[in-house]
Amino acid sequence: MNLLEYEAKGILRKFTIPIPSGVPLRQDNPLPKAPVVLKSQVHAGGRGKAGGVIVVREQSEIASATNRIFNLALKDEKPQTVLAEELLEISHEYYLSIIINRATAEIELVVHKEGGIEIESHDASEFLRKSLTSNSTDALGEMLAEYYDLPNQVFTLQELVKDLYDCFIKSDATLLEINPLILTKNNTLIAADCKMALDDDAAFRHPEWRFEQMPTSANFVTLNSHGTIATIANGAGLAMATVDAVKQAGLTPANFLDIGGGATVEGIVASFQKILKFPSVNAIVINIFGGIVRCDDVANAILEARKQFTNLPDLYIRLSGNKSTEATKLLADAGLILYPDLPTCLKELTNG
Amino acid sequence: MDNSIFTGKNVIVQGITGKNGQFHARNMIAYGTNIVAGVTPGKGGRAVDGIPVYNSVIEAQKDIMVDASVIFVPAPFAKGAIFEAIEASIPLIVCITEHIPVHDMLAVRRRLKNSKSTLIGPNCPGVLTPGNQLLGIIPAALSMHGDTAVVSRSGTLTYETMDLLTKAGFGQKYIIGIGGDMIRGTNFIECLELFENDPEVQRIVMIGEIGGTDEIAAADYIKAYVTKPVYAYIAGHSAPVGVQMGHAGAILGENNQESATAKTEYLTKSGAITADSITELVNRVQ
Repeated sequence: MNLLEYEAKGILRKFTIPIPSGVPLRQDNPLPKAPVVLKSQVHAGGRGKAGGVIVVREQSEIASATNRIFNLALKDEKPQTVLAEELLEISHEYYLSIIINRATAEIELVVHKEGGIEIESHDASEFLRKSLTSNSTDALGEMLAEYYDLPNQVFTLQELVKDLYDCFIKSDATLLEINPLILTKNNTLIAADCKMALDDDAAFRHPEWRFEQMPTSANFVTLNSHGTIATIANGAGLAMATVDAVKQAGLTPANFLDIGGGATVEGIVASFQKILKFPSVNAIVINIFGGIVRCDDVANAILEARKQFTNLPDLYIRLSGNKSTEATKLLADAGLILYPDLPTCLKELTNG
Repeated sequence: MDNSIFTGKNVIVQGITGKNGQFHARNMIAYGTNIVAGVTPGKGGRAVDGIPVYNSVIEAQKDIMVDASVIFVPAPFAKGAIFEAIEASIPLIVCITEHIPVHDMLAVRRRLKNSKSTLIGPNCPGVLTPGNQLLGIIPAALSMHGDTAVVSRSGTLTYETMDLLTKAGFGQKYIIGIGGDMIRGTNFIECLELFENDPEVQRIVMIGEIGGTDEIAAADYIKAYVTKPVYAYIAGHSAPVGVQMGHAGAILGENNQESATAKTEYLTKSGAITADSITELVNRVQ
């Protein structure tokens, strides 16, 4: 789950990590006072370059600037919230992030001397990466002071690394990125922008999580809203393989859908409902491999769902594995053809 | 990884009194797995289908020499269950549970270091050695004993592969589902090493997915050490590249290695036989 900047900063504040003073605004809130930085709260990246951050120095410009930023769509996303922050006097911008290294299963600190919006222009080898799992935060803070060339900020950086690591772990974060970490002209270090991702699977121990965009099911993904073939499968791997095969057959898949281990009538009905929203779909490919799931249960669910939707596109069904003989009979009795494997199913589809 | 960990006989089920644990314990027993005990904290002294239930793994171990544990404990308690099994030095731990928080798995990986245990999973279908035993939820009826070894990150796709191999006449010695999570106990490389060193294995089938760079590391291992034919399929050629959050992925240069196409190309270059669909892959198996 990806957080918006103001949501992430709300978490940083709880861990006493210095952030600019600011207020999240809704469109109907009173206007902020200039000078101020208005920052669009959207999930899309590249916000600064696309005009999603406006510095307003004169009070006379505040109304038009606020209106402009609320109505600016960034990668099709308009903000519900705009963050109004104090204007900082910047002396230098650094980069700092905490990530999970999948290969080593360790938490890592990743830093660069030059932060800011051009960060991706640096080569991967230029970033300094240090394990937080196997180094002390004090040692890393000291190293950082030397690396950033801030010899007077050793204690501040030790404190910062400790608080950020603490924040990362206690928040069940999978990414915490401060870019830029700003050194102000008064020599204070402030997290000027922050991107944070949290682990959906840890939600059970975070009743405090209340965000604009709560996790959505990863089981349904729209690939092409004008695609002509909808897909339904069980298991993420098989669902991906099904989409791959449809594409390989020269057709345009509209979606990825994994109905999971228990294919219930409700689940299949809900799947059809989602698919019927695609205007160009003219066929549905159903690819179920019954391992633990029984194919006859799935067949019954399909028949039940078919009663509820009279305007369904043609179904191209492949059920294999556990109880597929029984399923074939059930579907055949209802006038539906069942194909033995996915290639045959797709061949029928492209020929017909 | 040594193949002796899969030949152990005494198996326990952690979470045996839950719906899934009970259902799959019965399935495993039906296949011939020697389930000697179950563990559910607070339910010690009971029995499930005549199998004694203990409060803890250590308690069970006082009575029985345990070779392997299969875990069905719900996600919030799974870390504790895995820790228990590691502390009891159980040689093989298979964790079926899905949705375990990633920070819990980081802690598990730290605990596994210098331990006597090997962890398969989590979020996996388990391990099947056809004709021998089932440790997990793989539909064993679709398998056949033979000389092909399968390692996979996916669940249903593994079953499909197994079914296609059986129908094509290629029996299997091992079916190992290593799980789809970001942080897991066992990776492709340990399985490839096991397969390469087992003289009974004649060919290897490997199923990967988009995301992460484990298949790239596996490809490097194949090139350097594996002499047996490796057939590989990566699912997700048409999957959209995930919405990137922050710059970390891009600046560390990992994004371009994570796509199905990049992984497939790299595996091909490293000597694996690849295909764009699982049916096509099994058609190529010799």
